[in-house]
Amino acid sequence: MGVEIGSLRLKNPVMTASGTFGYGEEYAPYVDLNRLGAIVVKGLSWKPRLGNPPPRIMETPAGMLNAIGLQNIGVKAFISGKLPFLRNFDVAVVANVYGETVEEYLRVCELLTATSGIHALEINVSCPNVKKGGVAFGTDPEMIAEVTGRARGVTDLPLLVKLSPNVTDITAMAAAAESGGADGICLINTLTGMSVDVERRVPHLKNITGGLSGPAIKPVAVRMVWEAARTVKIPVIGIGGIMTAADALEFIIAGATAVQVGTANFVNPKATLEILSGLGAYMNRHGVGSIKELVGSLTT
Amino acid sequence: MCRANVIYNRRLNDRDFHMALRLPKEFVDPRPGQFVMLRPAAPEGPLLSRPLSVHRFTRLHDHVVLGLLYRVVGRGTAMFSRWSSGTEALVLGPLGNGFRIDGKKQEHILIAGGMGVAPMGYLADCLRGRNLGGQRMIFCLGAKSQGELIGLERLETMGGRLHISTDDGTMGTCGTVAELLPGILGGREPEAVELYACGPPGMLKSLASSLPGDFSCQASLEARMACGVGACLGCAMTMRTDGKGVVRKSVCRDGPVFDLREICWDEIVIT
Ligand SMILES: Cc1cc2nc3c(=O)[nH]c(=O)nc-3n(C[C@H](O)[C@H](O)[C@H](O)COP(=O)(O)OP(=O)(O)OC[C@H]3O[C@@H](n4cnc5c(N)ncnc54)[C@H](O)[C@@H]3O)c2cc1C
Ligand SMILES: Cc1cc2nc3c(=O)[nH]c(=O)nc-3n(C[C@H](O)[C@H](O)[C@H](O)COP(=O)(O)O)c2cc1C
Ligand code: FES
Repeated sequence: MGVEIGSLRLKNPVMTASGTFGYGEEYAPYVDLNRLGAIVVKGLSWKPRLGNPPPRIMETPAGMLNAIGLQNIGVKAFISGKLPFLRNFDVAVVANVYGETVEEYLRVCELLTATSGIHALEINVSCPNVKKGGVAFGTDPEMIAEVTGRARGVTDLPLLVKLSPNVTDITAMAAAAESGGADGICLINTLTGMSVDVERRVPHLKNITGGLSGPAIKPVAVRMVWEAARTVKIPVIGIGGIMTAADALEFIIAGATAVQVGTANFVNPKATLEILSGLGAYMNRHGVGSIKELVGSLTT
Repeated sequence: MCRANVIYNRRLNDRDFHMALRLPKEFVDPRPGQFVMLRPAAPEGPLLSRPLSVHRFTRLHDHVVLGLLYRVVGRGTAMFSRWSSGTEALVLGPLGNGFRIDGKKQEHILIAGGMGVAPMGYLADCLRGRNLGGQRMIFCLGAKSQGELIGLERLETMGGRLHISTDDGTMGTCGTVAELLPGILGGREPEAVELYACGPPGMLKSLASSLPGDFSCQASLEARMACGVGACLGCAMTMRTDGKGVVRKSVCRDGPVFDLREICWDEIVIT
């Protein structure tokens, strides 16, 4: 089941998606964290962030909209207050990094690189719910290349870049991250969406727009992973609406080396582990010895 | 998350139901004010589970029984209302911090508006279990009209004192439950009473403004939820900090019970 993304070795390809698994401790009563491929923690910024005012979420057909606005305790409080708990587990910890400016991204990366217990960095250039940074960087290939390249300059940790689907050509963004020196790219973050309360004639979210996640976005995500995997040589990590092992396999066969499970955790706290055992069952059934044999095995 | 079976699902009026679920004995005893996330075991209905308060709880020899009181307001609760004896469900919980019970308080005032009565049933059971029931409990119940005053018969058998208000005056005082409060608190010492409240945001807000300055109140808030365990930050509400500003707290993990005075009403949508 093991896979490699640059120098990052994962015992299996099932990771949690940032912002959907807290700092790990929230789900520890339900999931044996040692069994996960990796835990990607909630986006971290230099200073704590209050996030957006409520209401922040709304269920939509086969999905949900969120506009959390990257509420987080800040990277320092994470290192002192949350990371010690995660160090008790034999699991790769990936820090999702966010900045309003390139300099903020770099400061967060530097501090995390100097800390033990972080196994990789995931640069979030794709949050649709913040005014600065985030998707403002993630829709411009030059900015992606710059943020990635400069982060590469300050860290020797495996560097992942998380891309936004809110672009015309995902391959240009993937190529930019690769040229900047990324070890892997993760896609997709949420698709920008909106929903209206027709009785009151107001948006359901205070932020007006939000990011769509869940089963509704899966076909879009699979398509983008397929396109990106054909474009770059570095590993691609597939994300978007993965609820079952079959969903994860769609991404892997389309070209993903690993997958991240997001919204499914809310529906079923044990989703990651059930997906993992489903992958094992599939491999047995198809006589597949290594998950790597399945990566990009699509025939068209 | 554990498997549950519907024992019964009774209609109480046009839109309110009382459901009892059978759960395995591993389900831990809830504290009053805690809630569960409920969804069907079959792959149907909405994507996300729905939060419902613990209304009753009984531990039996080899299983436990969880009682829920709910109002049909949308797709999820409409699906619950169609469940019948034997339907399989999935329950995550008990979740949240719940109400604190201070045994030194002389009187316990339970204030409920509409469906806010759901957690109060279990709170009253817990108070009785700690010999704080009977005449030491005061119930203040408010509803739109007499037909929507649910759980009344059971509360009447508990021996507490009952104050009722309805918006249309069909039973008790005409008005809101917040308007009952000053009359009840008059002549009582803040140190001697504990107040607990649950209801729609509009009711809690007017309660906050009519509560005399030296009384405090534990209030249970509602918010749309996705995870129920503090992981998604979707249920955040704005709270005041000691004079310094505001913070956002998760209703599911930091709440649902908060100090009524801590709640920052500017950012709460009142429908
Ligand atoms: C901690 C907690 C305990 C609760 N306990 C009970 C209970 O014991 N009995 C009961 O009947 N209800 C309770 N609720 C409210 C209940 O969760 C909602 O009514 C339910 O989720 C609505 O789902 P739906 O699919 O039927 O409605 P939807 O179609 O999702 O929404 C219908 C309407 O209800 C509003 N709504 C949706 N979810 C919530 C929510 N979580 N809180 C408040 N309003 C919401 C929507 O904004 C909309 O206006 C509780 C909520 C919380 C947070
Ligand atoms: C509530 C919520 C919060 C999220 N927070 C973050 C975040 O902090 N950083 C990030 O890169 N992605 C964040 N995401 C995006 C997810 O990591 C993931 O890319 C997206 O939800 C698609 O996957 P899914 O359909 O499996 O949920 C968040 C998603 C949700 C639903
Ligand atoms: S519902 Fe997810 S944090 Fe409260």
